[in-house]
Amino acid sequence: MAIGVSTPEARRRIGRLERIWEEPSGLVGWLTTTDHKRIGLLYFFTTLFFFGAGGVEALLMRTQLIGPDAGVLSPEAYNQLFTMHGVTMIFLVVIPMSTGAFGNYLVPLMIGARDMAFPRMNAVGYWIYAASGIFIYVGLFIGRAPNAGWFDYVPLASKEFNPSMGIDFYALGLLFLGVSTTMVAINFIVTIFKLRAPGMSLNRLPLFCYAFLAVSFALVFALPPLNTALVFLELDRLAGFHFYDVAFGGDSLLWQHLFWIFGHPEVYIIILPAFGIATSIIPTFSRRKMVAYPFVAIAEVLVAFIGFGVWAHHMFAVGLATVTAVYFAAASLIIVIPSAIQLFAWITTLVTGRPRFATPLLFIVGFIVFFIIGGLSGIMFAAIPFDQQTTDTYFVVAHFHFVIFGAAMFPLLGGMYYWFPKVTGRMYYERFGQASFWLTFVGSALTFFPMHIVGLLGMPRRVYTYPDDLGWGAYNLSETIGSYVLGAGLVLILVNLTVSLFRGRPAGNDPWAGDTLEWSTTSPPPEYNYAVIPVVSSPYAMWDTEDREADARRLDRGELTLEEGHETVSTTAQDAVLDEVLEMPSESWSPLLVAVALSGFFALLLTEHFVAAGGFFGLTLIVIAAWHWQEPQEA
Amino acid sequence: MSDVTRSMEATSGSAAARVAARRAAFPNGLWGIYLLIATEGALFGCLIATYFYLRFQSTDWPLGGIEPPDVTVPLILAGALALTSIPMLGASLAAQAGRARAAWVFIFVALVVQSGYFAYEMHSFRSDLSDFRPEDNAYGSIYYTLLGADHAHVFIGMLLNVWLLARLLGGLTNYRVIGVRAISWYWHFANLMTLFVVGTLLSASA
Repeated sequence: MAIGVSTPEARRRIGRLERIWEEPSGLVGWLTTTDHKRIGLLYFFTTLFFFGAGGVEALLMRTQLIGPDAGVLSPEAYNQLFTMHGVTMIFLVVIPMSTGAFGNYLVPLMIGARDMAFPRMNAVGYWIYAASGIFIYVGLFIGRAPNAGWFDYVPLASKEFNPSMGIDFYALGLLFLGVSTTMVAINFIVTIFKLRAPGMSLNRLPLFCYAFLAVSFALVFALPPLNTALVFLELDRLAGFHFYDVAFGGDSLLWQHLFWIFGHPEVYIIILPAFGIATSIIPTFSRRKMVAYPFVAIAEVLVAFIGFGVWAHHMFAVGLATVTAVYFAAASLIIVIPSAIQLFAWITTLVTGRPRFATPLLFIVGFIVFFIIGGLSGIMFAAIPFDQQTTDTYFVVAHFHFVIFGAAMFPLLGGMYYWFPKVTGRMYYERFGQASFWLTFVGSALTFFPMHIVGLLGMPRRVYTYPDDLGWGAYNLSETIGSYVLGAGLVLILVNLTVSLFRGRPAGNDPWAGDTLEWSTTSPPPEYNYAVIPVVSSPYAMWDTEDREADARRLDRGELTLEEGHETVSTTAQDAVLDEVLEMPSESWSPLLVAVALSGFFALLLTEHFVAAGGFFGLTLIVIAAWHWQEPQEA
Repeated sequence: MSDVTRSMEATSGSAAARVAARRAAFPNGLWGIYLLIATEGALFGCLIATYFYLRFQSTDWPLGGIEPPDVTVPLILAGALALTSIPMLGASLAAQAGRARAAWVFIFVALVVQSGYFAYEMHSFRSDLSDFRPEDNAYGSIYYTLLGADHAHVFIGMLLNVWLLARLLGGLTNYRVIGVRAISWYWHFANLMTLFVVGTLLSASA
């Protein structure tokens, strides 16, 4: 039940909170915002833009592959498109959409906080993300996009074999983006450990937040290897260093190790938020608590942890020592266990509950189906001989699209429907929602499943065309038709949500009888999230009716309403005992200015104006210093 | 509510000290610096791992007849830098006790030593560059990258200390106490990394 506003005293308190937390209206408000919800929406619309771009790239490639010897794209254009498609979908869509958009909007709400732990850092994270995305796309628009694949192997990506500026757009763009992602990860960890509502001890933390905690820790440790690899690459390319140059004592396999030490945890970074969304939607629509809560929480963390020990299964074909390959094969089998624990918990919750198959749950069922298919083909790669046979074939493409699109993206799509009423205050059209699910589900299956077969038949990935006499035509035709069906499904989602935004019926605070705290506040939530900081006694805070009634009484009494300033509470890390009241920073131009100055730095590095780049780095430091000169209590 | 600290209202040394003593958990700023240290530590881990990866790929090390680095001076310098963790710890404790002037003096002493270290290292870096260059081979590449990364961290730490000295002239607030504690931790980390980096580079002389 939502907190009722019954007394004049409560209304007066709310009026005061509205004045304290009000942000400037219009464009200035969006440019200077530190509100996690607005930042989440900025992330969402930006990721949607890049999702559209990545989707168009995919459709162009599928159109080229519709039949043998097609001439829609040149080989070079095809190389640039598959590279940009991978970079876009992985770095600019799935991770920022899950962490930046969903995480930013929902984590503070779910833990009963009024903002993230570091609101200005949150804003700078968004602006750097947006700037780095534009940075990478400038390369495409000037015809110099990266063309060596999303994992950018050397020596193909070395200056000698790839003098184009495209690789520099890739490497510097991802370094730029890495600054943002690191900030986001640190912010989530501190927020989840320190800003939880009183009473929300770690064993009462919503499973959604456990997933984001696991992802954030994985990012903190996974990004440095990628950043190291990228710095080495740029030093080789721009300054003549020799990290990857075998002729001068370097080693091209060094790139692969560093990349995949990041790259495999990255797979779990992509999919763990999806697990978190699934564990939010399944209990609500099954109308029962999640089965095996502690096991699922531990499994989410274990997946992230074990994910660091399996990277070389991407390298079975490069000639590793047998003992090394066997170790990584075994580790790759072990990681199945925590994944399976979650799978069994989801299915058992569904089977033992009273499921209501509304659109969000349909997407989660689709996710479970695709995750099983993608998971089963994934286990196959732990068998070294099989992996060596299928490396660089479409079988691999099939596997990771089932995992990354089917398993990681489907919950995001379901999550869009699930939280749409909370974010907008309106309901979507259910019938169109279900139709969009079936279109995307059938489209995905039709696109990605035949890739298994054509891969086993020997079709290599990353070829821009294929001859007529190999028998691959029918499969490719099916994939191309499927991709357009899938595209239609995604467009229908967009149309449904856009029309619903203006014409949907009012949703109320809690249209689903949801289990977590965000459903206790208004839809959309006010700037301050909660008029009274909730006090929590279980992981299913919204189903604890007495607690929510107590919140309403505390609002009347003015207890934990924090109406003296821009404040939220800080609690102890394990037991969430109330520790102090924090004054949170409010709107600021500094985050945007930091992103602008850093953009100048990376743009000048790209054009090899190193002294001027140093000047912009100094400017970035000056902006950061000016930003911190004003302390939160002075804001 | 009256028993809960509004920590940002602590805008004097004594008030900030009371807040620090009363707080049950680490403040958010310390969590932030610990996580920054974690991710930066992973970065140095990758750099050092690369050094040994390249070394074990090669039959002779340093490559290309480059002379192994001198041992004595870098060890003494790294030791001197590591000792600045003591005044930085002193600054942290003084700030938590609300003693702004003592914290300022501790940081100033640390900064003097750190500046001396950095000046000598810059001179040494230039001198090394006249002997061999990062473009010569993979040894030169990792040598200068590792050393450069470490020097950059020392330099950023010095800037942070200059920042603290400027802010502490206006006395202590809760925000500044957390700042001193966080930057003190940054320096413990930077000093430890310097020891690791110097140890790694000197391993070529063993």
